[in-house]
Amino acid sequence: MTNHQPSWKRAGVNLFTVLARWLLGAAFVYLGLTKALHPVEFLKLMRQYDLTQDALLLNALSAALPWFELFCGLLLLAGVAVRGTALTLMLMLVPFTLLVWHRALLLQAAQHIPLCAVSFDCGCGNGQEFVCRKLSENLVFLGLSVWLLWGRGRQFSLRFSLMKPPSPPSGL
Amino acid sequence: MKTARTPVGRVLLEAALVAVVGAAFAFAANRVSPRGLVLARDYFPPGTNPPVRMAAITAPADSPTDTNPAAPSAVLRLTTPTEGLEWRLIDGDRTVQLLHDSHLRPGAIVFIDARDEEAYLAGHIPGAYGFDPYHPDKDFPAVLTVCRAAEQIVIYCYGSNCDDSQMAARLLRNVGISGQKIFVYGGGITEWTNNHQPVEIGARNSGNVNITIQ
Repeated sequence: MTNHQPSWKRAGVNLFTVLARWLLGAAFVYLGLTKALHPVEFLKLMRQYDLTQDALLLNALSAALPWFELFCGLLLLAGVAVRGTALTLMLMLVPFTLLVWHRALLLQAAQHIPLCAVSFDCGCGNGQEFVCRKLSENLVFLGLSVWLLWGRGRQFSLRFSLMKPPSPPSGL
Repeated sequence: MKTARTPVGRVLLEAALVAVVGAAFAFAANRVSPRGLVLARDYFPPGTNPPVRMAAITAPADSPTDTNPAAPSAVLRLTTPTEGLEWRLIDGDRTVQLLHDSHLRPGAIVFIDARDEEAYLAGHIPGAYGFDPYHPDKDFPAVLTVCRAAEQIVIYCYGSNCDDSQMAARLLRNVGISGQKIFVYGGGITEWTNNHQPVEIGARNSGNVNITIQ
């Protein structure tokens, strides 16, 4: 279907997709690195969510998540396993966005303030920020991940798909 | 393997591969990082504060972010448990008195800064020992020696929105330091500097004393 698109439109879509991949990759490298450099702070913030009482599990989550984000970001920047990485990021973003939202609702109820006035350090890597901004940011990340999952824009990719044979680009 | 031949199967398989390799990379990176977490360590041993779930920081949208840390104090003072503690809380005025009390023998009062090394070097109560309870191996032996000889120990961290001082107090209690001589300064370095009290910059006894943190 997309083969019938005008070439300028295809080029625009491809350019947008490459930029989206780089933006998402750079964001996850930055967010992962800021957490990885301060793992104890991240551990304390993870504990605030009360996800588990098991010290080993909490430590493992807090130790691995920042570096995992960094890894995924690097894959996107390099253009390796792009669709698999995008799906992995989606599977991470959805539960963590819900967790942040849930905690924000608790804080809103406790403080009797509008949701968007709630501000806290969610452990997302940007420090303390207003929750509406954080949720919007996560929705943008989710949208970009879905777009990348679509499989367009394979330019500047070292190895877009790990699976052999790579499927021909459906939109090109 | 049949599903791997379909586009959806290929993406799922690729995501699983990314997850497995990524997890291996993450744990290896944590292991080699000098700041990495020790997975087997219980960083929050029994007796330390439970997570402060309502650590809300609220401010008008036009407030600068760096003014917000003062905001949660009122909330946290209400939610941080003070009953049943095995140590006592101390306020800023009493902490200042202890720092300047010339009647006490040297070493009778020990101040402990329970923040991380970076924050400690940026400015601490003059003469305070640095002791990061999340990395106790480094400073614990020296701190333990002076604490055993001290009559009163004052522990602080950033302020009432941090519980690192109580973590440090717990570790000292766990090795037999009497709770009778442990005091936690709840206002922490935030209140200390807000009251224009002197801070020492750099290493302990560096002599570089100022009233602002670098």
